[in-house]
Amino acid sequence: MDSRTNNADQVEKEGMADNKSSRRQFLKKMSIAAAAGSASLVVGGCGGSPKSEEMGLKWEEYFKEHYRLMTQEEKDATVKRLERLAKLERGVDVQISNQGPHEQVLYGYAFNISRCKGYMDCVEACVKENNLDRRAKTQYVRIFEMDPGKLDPTAGDGQFYHEVPVKNKFYMGVQCFHCENAPCIKACPTKATWREPDGIVVVDYDWCSGCRYCLAACPYWGRRFNWGDPEVPKEEINLNQHYLGNRMRMKGVMEKCTFCVQRTRKGKLPACADACPTGSRVFGNLLDPNSEIRFVLKNKKVFRFKEDLGTDPKFWYFMD
Amino acid sequence: MNKIPYGVGVFLMVLAVVVLVDQSAVASGAPGTESVTDRINHATEPYDSMKVTTAHELSAKTVQSKEQYQGGDFKILARKGEISRFRCSVCHNDKPILAQNGVLFTHGDVKLNHGLGKNQLTCNECHSMGNRDFLVNKEGRKIDFDHSYQLCGKCHFRQKRDWLGGAHGKRETYWGGERVVRNCTSCHNPHSPAFATKMPATYSLPLDE
Repeated sequence: MDSRTNNADQVEKEGMADNKSSRRQFLKKMSIAAAAGSASLVVGGCGGSPKSEEMGLKWEEYFKEHYRLMTQEEKDATVKRLERLAKLERGVDVQISNQGPHEQVLYGYAFNISRCKGYMDCVEACVKENNLDRRAKTQYVRIFEMDPGKLDPTAGDGQFYHEVPVKNKFYMGVQCFHCENAPCIKACPTKATWREPDGIVVVDYDWCSGCRYCLAACPYWGRRFNWGDPEVPKEEINLNQHYLGNRMRMKGVMEKCTFCVQRTRKGKLPACADACPTGSRVFGNLLDPNSEIRFVLKNKKVFRFKEDLGTDPKFWYFMD
Repeated sequence: MNKIPYGVGVFLMVLAVVVLVDQSAVASGAPGTESVTDRINHATEPYDSMKVTTAHELSAKTVQSKEQYQGGDFKILARKGEISRFRCSVCHNDKPILAQNGVLFTHGDVKLNHGLGKNQLTCNECHSMGNRDFLVNKEGRKIDFDHSYQLCGKCHFRQKRDWLGGAHGKRETYWGGERVVRNCTSCHNPHSPAFATKMPATYSLPLDE
Protein backbone atom coordinates (compact mmCIF):
# COMPACT_ATOMS: atom_id res chain seq x y z
CA MET A 1 0.00 0.00 0.00
CA ASP A 2 2.72 2.39 0.97
CA SER A 3 5.00 1.22 -1.81
CA ARG A 4 2.22 2.13 -4.24
CA THR A 5 2.05 5.62 -2.80
CA ASN A 6 5.79 5.98 -2.95
CA ASN A 7 5.91 4.72 -6.53
CA ALA A 8 3.32 7.25 -7.57
CA ASP A 9 5.36 9.93 -5.80
CA GLN A 10 8.49 8.78 -7.55
CA VAL A 11 6.90 8.78 -11.00
CA GLU A 12 5.52 12.24 -10.40
CA LYS A 13 8.87 13.56 -9.24
CA GLU A 14 10.68 12.11 -12.22
CA GLY A 15 8.11 13.70 -14.49
CA MET A 16 8.83 17.03 -12.84
CA ALA A 17 12.55 16.58 -13.27
CA ASP A 18 12.22 15.74 -16.96
CA ASN A 19 10.08 18.74 -17.74
CA LYS A 20 12.40 21.39 -16.57
CA SER A 21 15.89 20.01 -16.47
CA SER A 22 17.33 21.64 -19.56
CA ARG A 23 15.77 25.06 -19.08
CA ARG A 24 16.49 25.17 -15.38
CA GLN A 25 20.03 23.95 -15.76
CA PHE A 26 20.62 26.60 -18.37
CA LEU A 27 19.25 29.26 -16.03
CA LYS A 28 21.36 27.92 -13.20
CA LYS A 29 24.55 28.13 -15.23
CA MET A 30 23.59 31.63 -16.30
CA SER A 31 22.96 32.56 -12.70
CA ILE A 32 26.33 31.27 -11.56
CA ALA A 33 28.05 33.23 -14.30
CA ALA A 34 26.07 36.34 -13.44
CA ALA A 35 26.67 35.80 -9.72
CA ALA A 36 30.39 35.65 -10.28
CA GLY A 37 30.17 38.90 -12.21
CA SER A 38 27.96 40.72 -9.72
CA ALA A 39 29.89 39.35 -6.72
CA SER A 40 33.10 40.86 -8.02
CA LEU A 41 31.26 44.14 -8.57
CA VAL A 42 29.82 44.11 -5.06
CA VAL A 43 33.08 43.15 -3.44
CA GLY A 44 34.76 45.91 -5.35
CA GLY A 45 32.10 48.38 -4.10
CA CYS A 46 31.54 47.70 -0.37
CA GLY A 47 33.38 44.54 0.63
CA GLY A 48 31.35 42.02 2.69
CA SER A 49 28.65 44.29 4.15
CA PRO A 50 25.48 42.62 5.57
CA LYS A 51 23.59 44.04 2.60
CA SER A 52 25.75 42.20 0.09
CA GLU A 53 25.51 39.01 2.16
CA GLU A 54 21.73 39.36 2.10
CA MET A 55 21.78 39.93 -1.65
CA GLY A 56 23.96 36.88 -2.17
CA LEU A 57 21.71 34.65 -0.06
CA LYS A 58 18.61 35.89 -1.86
CA TRP A 59 20.28 35.25 -5.18
CA GLU A 60 21.04 31.65 -4.22
CA GLU A 61 17.53 31.21 -2.83
CA TYR A 62 16.05 32.44 -6.08
CA PHE A 63 17.76 29.75 -8.12
CA LYS A 64 17.29 26.82 -5.77
CA GLU A 65 15.53 23.56 -6.65
CA HIS A 66 11.93 22.58 -5.97
CA TYR A 67 11.82 21.26 -2.38
CA ARG A 68 10.75 17.76 -3.41
CA LEU A 69 13.67 17.46 -5.82
CA MET A 70 16.28 18.64 -3.33
CA THR A 71 18.77 16.28 -1.80
CA GLN A 72 19.10 16.33 1.99
CA GLU A 73 22.23 18.51 1.64
CA GLU A 74 20.35 21.01 -0.50
CA LYS A 75 17.50 21.07 2.03
CA ASP A 76 19.96 21.71 4.85
CA ALA A 77 21.59 24.46 2.80
CA THR A 78 18.35 26.30 2.00
CA VAL A 79 17.25 26.07 5.62
CA LYS A 80 20.57 27.52 6.72
CA ARG A 81 20.22 30.37 4.21
CA LEU A 82 16.67 31.12 5.35
CA GLU A 83 17.76 31.16 8.99
CA ARG A 84 20.53 33.61 8.16
CA LEU A 85 18.15 35.75 6.10
CA ALA A 86 15.70 35.88 9.02
CA LYS A 87 18.56 37.13 11.18
CA LEU A 88 19.63 39.76 8.63
CA GLU A 89 16.14 40.94 7.69
CA ARG A 90 14.28 40.73 10.99
CA GLY A 91 17.00 40.27 13.60
CA VAL A 92 15.51 37.04 14.97
CA ASP A 93 17.29 33.73 15.64
CA VAL A 94 14.88 31.25 14.10
CA GLN A 95 15.35 27.50 13.84
CA ILE A 96 13.93 26.12 10.62
CA SER A 97 13.49 22.36 10.45
CA ASN A 98 13.25 20.21 7.35
CA GLN A 99 12.30 17.07 9.24
CA GLY A 100 10.61 14.52 6.99
CA PRO A 101 7.55 12.38 7.70
CA HIS A 102 7.46 9.36 10.01
CA GLU A 103 6.87 6.00 8.39
CA GLN A 104 3.54 4.27 8.99
CA VAL A 105 1.94 7.54 10.06
CA LEU A 106 -1.06 9.17 8.40
CA TYR A 107 -2.42 12.12 10.31
CA GLY A 108 -6.14 12.49 10.87
CA TYR A 109 -8.34 14.86 12.80
CA ALA A 110 -11.76 14.64 14.40
CA PHE A 111 -13.88 17.49 15.70
CA ASN A 112 -16.62 17.00 18.29
CA ILE A 113 -19.52 19.28 17.33
CA SER A 114 -21.41 18.47 20.53
CA ARG A 115 -18.52 19.57 22.79
CA CYS A 116 -17.13 22.71 21.14
CA LYS A 117 -18.27 25.82 22.98
CA GLY A 118 -16.97 28.46 20.60
CA TYR A 119 -14.28 29.79 22.97
CA MET A 120 -11.90 30.17 19.99
CA ASP A 121 -8.77 29.41 21.99
CA CYS A 122 -7.81 27.21 19.01
CA VAL A 123 -7.85 30.17 16.61
CA GLU A 124 -5.74 32.28 18.97
CA ALA A 125 -3.20 29.48 19.47
CA CYS A 126 -2.98 28.83 15.72
CA VAL A 127 -2.27 32.50 14.95
CA LYS A 128 0.59 32.58 17.47
CA GLU A 129 2.05 29.19 16.56
CA ASN A 130 2.03 29.71 12.81
CA ASN A 131 3.22 33.35 12.67
CA LEU A 132 0.04 34.45 10.93
CA ASP A 133 -0.32 37.98 9.59
CA ARG A 134 -1.61 40.13 12.44
CA ARG A 135 -2.45 43.09 10.21
CA ALA A 136 -4.74 41.24 7.79
CA LYS A 137 -5.88 39.05 10.70
CA THR A 138 -5.23 35.83 8.80
CA GLN A 139 -6.68 32.75 10.50
CA TYR A 140 -6.44 29.14 9.37
CA VAL A 141 -9.17 27.95 11.73
CA ARG A 142 -12.72 29.29 11.62
CA ILE A 143 -15.48 28.54 14.08
CA PHE A 144 -19.09 28.85 12.97
CA GLU A 145 -22.03 29.33 15.31
CA MET A 146 -24.71 27.02 14.01
CA ASP A 147 -28.44 26.53 14.44
CA PRO A 148 -29.57 23.03 15.39
CA GLY A 149 -30.17 20.74 12.44
CA LYS A 150 -27.80 22.59 10.11
CA LEU A 151 -24.54 20.88 9.17
CA ASP A 152 -23.27 23.27 6.50
CA PRO A 153 -21.02 26.03 7.88
CA THR A 154 -22.26 28.46 5.20
CA ALA A 155 -25.56 28.44 7.09
CA GLY A 156 -23.78 29.48 10.31
CA ASP A 157 -22.31 32.68 11.70
CA GLY A 158 -18.52 32.83 11.29
CA GLN A 159 -18.10 36.28 12.83
CA PHE A 160 -19.76 35.93 16.23
CA TYR A 161 -18.32 37.88 19.13
CA HIS A 162 -20.45 37.56 22.25
CA GLU A 163 -20.60 35.34 25.32
CA VAL A 164 -20.42 31.72 24.32
CA PRO A 165 -21.85 29.11 24.30
CA VAL A 166 -25.28 30.45 23.36
CA LYS A 167 -28.15 28.19 24.33
CA ASN A 168 -29.49 26.08 21.46
CA LYS A 169 -26.52 26.78 19.20
CA PHE A 170 -23.64 24.50 18.38
CA TYR A 171 -20.17 25.31 17.12
CA MET A 172 -18.38 23.86 14.12
CA GLY A 173 -14.71 24.37 13.30
CA VAL A 174 -13.41 24.48 9.73
CA GLN A 175 -9.82 24.44 8.52
CA CYS A 176 -7.77 22.67 5.83
CA PHE A 177 -9.02 19.07 5.73
CA HIS A 178 -5.84 17.67 4.16
CA CYS A 179 -7.76 15.77 1.49
CA GLU A 180 -6.18 12.61 0.12
CA ASN A 181 -7.64 13.55 -3.26
CA ALA A 182 -7.09 17.27 -2.90
CA PRO A 183 -8.46 19.55 -5.66
CA CYS A 184 -6.02 22.33 -4.70
CA ILE A 185 -3.03 20.14 -5.59
CA LYS A 186 -4.49 19.39 -9.01
CA ALA A 187 -5.14 23.07 -9.65
CA CYS A 188 -1.60 24.23 -8.94
CA PRO A 189 0.24 25.00 -12.21
CA THR A 190 3.70 25.12 -10.60
CA LYS A 191 3.40 22.02 -8.34
CA ALA A 192 4.12 24.27 -5.40
CA THR A 193 1.61 22.38 -3.26
CA TRP A 194 1.53 18.64 -2.67
CA ARG A 195 0.57 15.92 -0.22
CA GLU A 196 3.36 14.57 1.96
CA PRO A 197 3.56 10.81 2.67
CA ASP A 198 2.12 11.41 6.17
CA GLY A 199 -0.93 13.01 4.57
CA ILE A 200 -0.19 16.69 5.23
CA VAL A 201 -0.91 18.99 2.29
CA VAL A 202 1.90 21.55 2.22
CA VAL A 203 3.01 24.58 0.21
CA ASP A 204 6.55 25.50 -0.84
CA TYR A 205 6.23 29.26 -0.41
CA ASP A 206 9.29 29.80 -2.58
CA TRP A 207 7.72 27.93 -5.48
CA CYS A 208 4.24 29.45 -5.27
CA SER A 209 3.56 31.97 -8.03
CA GLY A 210 0.50 33.40 -6.30
CA CYS A 211 -2.04 32.56 -9.01
CA ARG A 212 -4.65 31.53 -6.38
CA TYR A 213 -6.06 28.69 -8.51
CA CYS A 214 -5.85 26.48 -5.41
CA LEU A 215 -7.92 28.97 -3.43
CA ALA A 216 -10.60 28.76 -6.06
CA ALA A 217 -10.36 24.97 -6.28
CA CYS A 218 -10.72 24.29 -2.55
CA PRO A 219 -14.39 23.63 -1.69
CA TYR A 220 -13.69 24.15 2.03
CA TRP A 221 -12.18 27.68 2.07
CA GLY A 222 -9.00 26.10 3.46
CA ARG A 223 -6.45 28.41 1.83
CA ARG A 224 -5.29 31.93 2.61
CA PHE A 225 -3.53 34.41 0.36
CA ASN A 226 -1.00 37.03 1.41
CA TRP A 227 -2.17 40.23 -0.26
CA GLY A 228 0.53 42.13 1.56
CA ASP A 229 3.71 41.35 3.44
CA PRO A 230 2.64 39.49 6.60
CA GLU A 231 3.28 41.49 9.77
CA VAL A 232 4.19 39.75 13.00
CA PRO A 233 5.65 41.74 15.93
CA LYS A 234 9.28 40.69 16.39
CA GLU A 235 8.79 39.54 19.98
CA GLU A 236 5.79 37.40 19.00
CA ILE A 237 7.52 35.44 16.22
CA ASN A 238 7.51 31.70 16.93
CA LEU A 239 11.16 30.74 16.46
CA ASN A 240 10.56 26.99 16.11
CA GLN A 241 9.77 26.78 12.42
CA HIS A 242 9.56 24.29 9.59
CA TYR A 243 10.35 24.85 5.92
CA LEU A 244 6.91 23.55 4.94
CA GLY A 245 5.16 25.07 7.94
CA ASN A 246 5.28 28.28 9.92
CA ARG A 247 8.40 29.94 8.50
CA MET A 248 7.81 33.55 7.51
CA ARG A 249 5.73 33.95 4.36
CA MET A 250 6.00 36.81 1.92
CA LYS A 251 3.67 38.97 -0.13
CA GLY A 252 1.90 37.18 -2.96
CA VAL A 253 2.03 33.56 -1.78
CA MET A 254 -0.57 31.08 -0.63
CA GLU A 255 -0.55 29.59 2.84
CA LYS A 256 -2.73 27.20 4.81
CA CYS A 257 -3.06 24.96 7.84
CA THR A 258 -0.27 22.36 7.86
CA PHE A 259 -1.54 20.40 10.89
CA CYS A 260 1.34 22.35 12.52
CA VAL A 261 3.93 20.24 10.69
CA GLN A 262 6.66 21.76 12.90
CA ARG A 263 4.91 20.31 15.95
CA THR A 264 3.30 17.10 14.71
CA ARG A 265 6.46 15.63 13.23
CA LYS A 266 8.02 16.05 16.66
CA GLY A 267 5.15 14.04 18.16
CA LYS A 268 3.22 17.05 19.45
CA LEU A 269 -0.44 17.80 18.93
CA PRO A 270 -1.27 20.67 16.55
CA ALA A 271 -1.55 23.98 18.40
CA CYS A 272 -5.35 24.08 17.98
CA ALA A 273 -5.84 20.61 19.47
CA ASP A 274 -3.41 21.40 22.29
CA ALA A 275 -5.14 24.69 23.12
CA CYS A 276 -8.73 23.43 23.09
CA PRO A 277 -10.07 23.56 26.66
CA THR A 278 -13.07 21.35 25.89
CA GLY A 279 -11.41 18.31 24.31
CA SER A 280 -13.37 18.77 21.09
CA ARG A 281 -10.30 18.23 18.96
CA VAL A 282 -8.89 14.72 18.50
CA PHE A 283 -5.70 14.24 16.51
CA GLY A 284 -3.63 11.16 15.82
CA ASN A 285 -2.29 8.46 13.55
CA LEU A 286 -4.97 6.95 11.32
CA LEU A 287 -2.78 3.90 10.67
CA ASP A 288 -2.61 3.00 14.38
CA PRO A 289 -5.67 0.92 15.35
CA ASN A 290 -5.12 1.91 19.00
CA SER A 291 -5.04 5.66 18.43
CA GLU A 292 -7.71 8.04 19.74
CA ILE A 293 -8.73 9.08 16.25
CA ARG A 294 -9.34 5.46 15.29
CA PHE A 295 -11.46 5.01 18.43
CA VAL A 296 -13.60 7.95 17.34
CA LEU A 297 -14.00 6.61 13.82
CA LYS A 298 -14.95 3.18 15.13
CA ASN A 299 -17.27 4.12 18.00
CA LYS A 300 -18.82 7.50 17.18
CA LYS A 301 -21.25 8.88 14.66
CA VAL A 302 -18.92 10.57 12.21
CA PHE A 303 -19.33 12.46 8.98
CA ARG A 304 -17.12 14.43 6.64
CA PHE A 305 -18.02 17.78 5.11
CA LYS A 306 -19.05 17.56 1.44
CA GLU A 307 -18.03 13.91 1.29
CA ASP A 308 -19.89 13.54 -2.01
CA LEU A 309 -17.23 15.61 -3.79
CA GLY A 310 -14.81 12.68 -3.51
CA THR A 311 -12.03 14.84 -2.06
CA ASP A 312 -11.48 12.24 0.65
CA PRO A 313 -10.66 14.63 3.54
CA LYS A 314 -8.84 13.41 6.64
CA PHE A 315 -11.01 15.53 8.93
CA TRP A 316 -14.14 14.07 10.51
CA TYR A 317 -16.91 15.61 12.59
CA PHE A 318 -18.41 13.55 15.35
CA MET A 319 -20.98 13.85 18.10
CA ASP A 320 -21.43 12.27 21.51
CA MET B 1 -21.05 -14.06 -39.07
CA ASN B 2 -18.01 -15.31 -37.28
CA LYS B 3 -18.91 -16.42 -33.76
CA ILE B 4 -16.74 -15.81 -30.75
CA PRO B 5 -16.15 -19.05 -28.83
CA TYR B 6 -17.98 -19.20 -25.46
CA GLY B 7 -14.75 -19.37 -23.43
CA VAL B 8 -13.28 -16.28 -25.08
CA GLY B 9 -16.54 -14.34 -24.48
CA VAL B 10 -16.50 -15.13 -20.77
CA PHE B 11 -12.83 -14.16 -20.59
CA LEU B 12 -13.51 -10.80 -22.26
CA MET B 13 -16.38 -10.07 -19.87
CA VAL B 14 -14.24 -10.87 -16.83
CA LEU B 15 -11.49 -8.65 -18.23
CA ALA B 16 -13.96 -5.80 -18.76
CA VAL B 17 -15.22 -6.09 -15.16
CA VAL B 18 -11.65 -6.12 -13.81
CA VAL B 19 -10.74 -3.03 -15.80
CA LEU B 20 -13.88 -1.19 -14.67
CA VAL B 21 -13.34 -2.08 -10.99
CA ASP B 22 -9.73 -0.99 -11.25
CA GLN B 23 -10.72 2.35 -12.76
CA SER B 24 -13.35 3.03 -10.12
CA ALA B 25 -10.79 2.25 -7.40
CA VAL B 26 -8.50 4.89 -8.88
CA ALA B 27 -11.34 7.37 -9.18
CA SER B 28 -12.22 7.03 -5.47
CA GLY B 29 -8.86 8.24 -4.24
CA ALA B 30 -5.82 10.14 -5.45
CA PRO B 31 -4.23 8.67 -8.59
CA GLY B 32 -2.32 5.53 -7.74
CA THR B 33 -3.38 5.47 -4.10
CA GLU B 34 -6.12 3.95 -2.01
CA SER B 35 -8.81 6.02 -0.34
CA VAL B 36 -8.32 6.98 3.30
CA THR B 37 -11.04 4.56 4.37
CA ASP B 38 -9.27 1.68 2.60
CA ARG B 39 -5.93 2.60 4.12
CA ILE B 40 -7.51 2.75 7.58
CA ASN B 41 -9.20 -0.60 7.10
CA HIS B 42 -5.95 -2.21 5.99
CA ALA B 43 -3.95 -0.77 8.89
CA THR B 44 -4.48 -3.33 11.64
CA GLU B 45 -0.93 -3.46 12.98
CA PRO B 46 -0.52 -1.28 16.11
CA TYR B 47 1.93 1.60 15.65
CA ASP B 48 4.71 1.79 18.20
CA SER B 49 4.41 5.46 19.08
CA MET B 50 7.54 5.24 21.23
CA LYS B 51 9.35 5.44 17.88
CA VAL B 52 8.58 9.16 17.97
CA THR B 53 11.63 9.89 20.07
CA THR B 54 11.07 13.65 20.14
CA ALA B 55 8.00 13.14 22.34
CA HIS B 56 9.73 13.94 25.61
CA GLU B 57 8.65 13.14 29.11
CA LEU B 58 6.27 15.75 30.49
CA SER B 59 7.30 18.06 33.28
CA ALA B 60 3.87 17.62 34.88
CA LYS B 61 3.49 14.83 37.45
CA THR B 62 1.75 11.74 36.09
CA VAL B 63 0.47 8.47 37.52
CA GLN B 64 -0.19 5.08 35.95
CA SER B 65 -3.86 4.56 35.26
CA LYS B 66 -5.56 1.67 37.07
CA GLU B 67 -7.54 0.85 33.95
CA GLN B 68 -6.52 0.16 30.38
CA TYR B 69 -7.41 1.62 27.02
CA GLN B 70 -7.46 -0.24 23.68
CA GLY B 71 -3.67 0.04 23.48
CA GLY B 72 -2.95 -1.22 27.02
CA ASP B 73 -1.56 0.79 29.94
CA PHE B 74 -1.46 4.57 29.93
CA LYS B 75 -0.74 7.47 32.23
CA ILE B 76 -2.86 10.32 33.55
CA LEU B 77 -1.99 13.69 34.99
CA ALA B 78 -1.77 13.48 38.79
CA ARG B 79 -4.37 15.36 40.82
CA LYS B 80 -3.22 15.31 44.43
CA GLY B 81 -0.41 17.81 43.90
CA GLU B 82 -2.94 20.25 42.44
CA ILE B 83 -5.15 20.28 45.53
CA SER B 84 -3.86 23.19 47.56
CA ARG B 85 -4.69 21.79 51.00
CA PHE B 86 -4.04 18.10 50.48
CA ARG B 87 -3.69 16.02 52.72
CA CYS B 88 -7.10 16.67 54.12
CA SER B 89 -6.36 14.76 57.31
CA VAL B 90 -3.98 17.54 58.35
CA CYS B 91 -7.12 19.42 59.42
CA HIS B 92 -9.72 16.66 59.43
CA ASN B 93 -8.49 14.82 62.52
CA ASP B 94 -9.32 14.56 66.20
CA LYS B 95 -7.28 17.58 67.27
CA PRO B 96 -9.34 20.54 68.44
CA ILE B 97 -9.23 23.74 66.38
CA LEU B 98 -9.67 27.33 67.46
CA ALA B 99 -12.88 29.09 66.47
CA GLN B 100 -10.91 32.06 65.11
CA ASN B 101 -9.47 29.80 62.41
CA GLY B 102 -12.93 28.65 61.41
CA VAL B 103 -13.08 30.71 58.22
CA LEU B 104 -9.83 29.17 57.01
CA PHE B 105 -10.82 25.66 57.96
CA THR B 106 -14.28 25.52 56.49
CA HIS B 107 -14.64 25.32 52.73
CA GLY B 108 -16.58 28.54 52.25
CA ASP B 109 -15.04 29.04 48.80
CA VAL B 110 -16.53 25.83 47.44
CA LYS B 111 -19.79 26.39 45.54
CA LEU B 112 -21.53 23.14 44.83
CA ASN B 113 -23.33 23.02 41.49
CA HIS B 114 -23.13 19.39 40.51
CA GLY B 115 -26.33 17.65 39.46
CA LEU B 116 -29.45 18.64 37.57
CA GLY B 117 -32.04 20.98 39.09
CA LYS B 118 -32.91 20.02 42.63
CA ASN B 119 -30.86 16.81 42.52
CA GLN B 120 -27.66 18.51 43.73
CA LEU B 121 -24.93 16.35 45.18
CA THR B 122 -23.67 16.96 48.70
CA CYS B 123 -20.08 16.74 49.98
CA ASN B 124 -20.22 13.23 51.32
CA GLU B 125 -21.63 11.68 48.19
CA CYS B 126 -18.08 11.85 46.83
CA HIS B 127 -15.86 12.57 49.86
CA SER B 128 -15.27 9.79 52.38
CA MET B 129 -16.68 10.47 55.87
CA GLY B 130 -14.30 8.00 57.48
CA ASN B 131 -11.04 8.98 55.77
CA ARG B 132 -10.96 12.48 54.34
CA ASP B 133 -7.86 11.72 52.26
CA PHE B 134 -10.00 9.64 49.91
CA LEU B 135 -13.12 9.81 47.81
CA VAL B 136 -15.77 7.14 48.25
CA ASN B 137 -18.25 5.53 45.92
CA LYS B 138 -21.77 4.29 46.67
CA GLU B 139 -20.44 0.82 47.48
CA GLY B 140 -18.26 2.30 50.20
CA ARG B 141 -15.00 1.68 48.35
CA LYS B 142 -12.24 4.24 48.93
CA ILE B 143 -11.00 5.97 45.77
CA ASP B 144 -7.71 7.80 45.42
CA PHE B 145 -7.91 11.47 44.35
CA ASP B 146 -5.52 10.68 41.48
CA HIS B 147 -7.97 8.12 40.13
CA SER B 148 -11.22 10.04 40.38
CA TYR B 149 -12.37 8.58 37.03
CA GLN B 150 -13.27 5.48 39.02
CA LEU B 151 -15.80 7.59 40.92
CA CYS B 152 -16.98 9.97 38.17
CA GLY B 153 -17.49 7.03 35.84
CA LYS B 154 -20.08 5.54 38.19
CA CYS B 155 -22.63 8.08 36.94
CA HIS B 156 -20.90 9.35 33.80
CA PHE B 157 -20.17 5.90 32.41
CA ARG B 158 -20.60 6.97 28.77
CA GLN B 159 -18.10 9.76 29.23
CA LYS B 160 -15.72 7.37 30.98
CA ARG B 161 -15.91 4.87 28.14
CA ASP B 162 -15.16 7.66 25.65
CA TRP B 163 -12.39 9.04 27.88
CA LEU B 164 -10.66 5.66 28.06
CA GLY B 165 -10.84 5.31 24.28
CA GLY B 166 -9.93 8.91 23.48
CA ALA B 167 -13.18 10.50 22.27
CA HIS B 168 -13.69 12.48 25.51
CA GLY B 169 -11.01 14.52 27.24
CA LYS B 170 -7.62 14.96 25.66
CA ARG B 171 -4.01 13.90 25.52
CA GLU B 172 -1.41 16.12 27.11
CA THR B 173 0.82 17.93 24.56
CA TYR B 174 1.81 14.87 22.49
CA TRP B 175 0.07 12.50 20.08
CA GLY B 176 3.20 10.33 19.98
CA GLY B 177 5.31 8.75 22.67
CA GLU B 178 3.78 7.50 25.88
CA ARG B 179 0.04 8.06 26.18
CA VAL B 180 -0.63 10.70 28.85
CA VAL B 181 -4.19 11.99 29.15
CA ARG B 182 -5.76 14.60 31.35
CA ASN B 183 -7.84 13.39 34.26
CA CYS B 184 -11.48 14.41 34.82
CA THR B 185 -10.58 17.26 37.15
CA SER B 186 -7.90 18.68 34.82
CA CYS B 187 -10.74 20.23 32.83
CA HIS B 188 -13.83 20.03 35.07
CA ASN B 189 -14.17 21.65 38.46
CA PRO B 190 -15.60 18.66 40.35
CA HIS B 191 -17.80 20.94 42.47
CA SER B 192 -19.22 22.73 39.43
CA PRO B 193 -18.36 20.61 36.41
CA ALA B 194 -20.26 22.43 33.66
CA PHE B 195 -18.20 24.80 31.50
CA ALA B 196 -18.86 28.50 32.05
CA THR B 197 -20.03 30.98 29.43
CA LYS B 198 -17.40 33.56 28.53
CA MET B 199 -16.22 35.83 25.75
CA PRO B 200 -14.33 34.09 22.92
CA ALA B 201 -10.54 34.51 22.80
CA THR B 202 -10.71 36.31 19.45
CA TYR B 203 -12.98 36.94 16.46
CA SER B 204 -12.88 36.43 12.69
CA LEU B 205 -13.12 38.75 9.73
CA PRO B 206 -15.10 37.81 6.60
CA LEU B 207 -13.20 35.62 4.15
CA ASP B 208 -12.10 37.20 0.89
CA GLU B 209 -13.72 35.29 -1.91
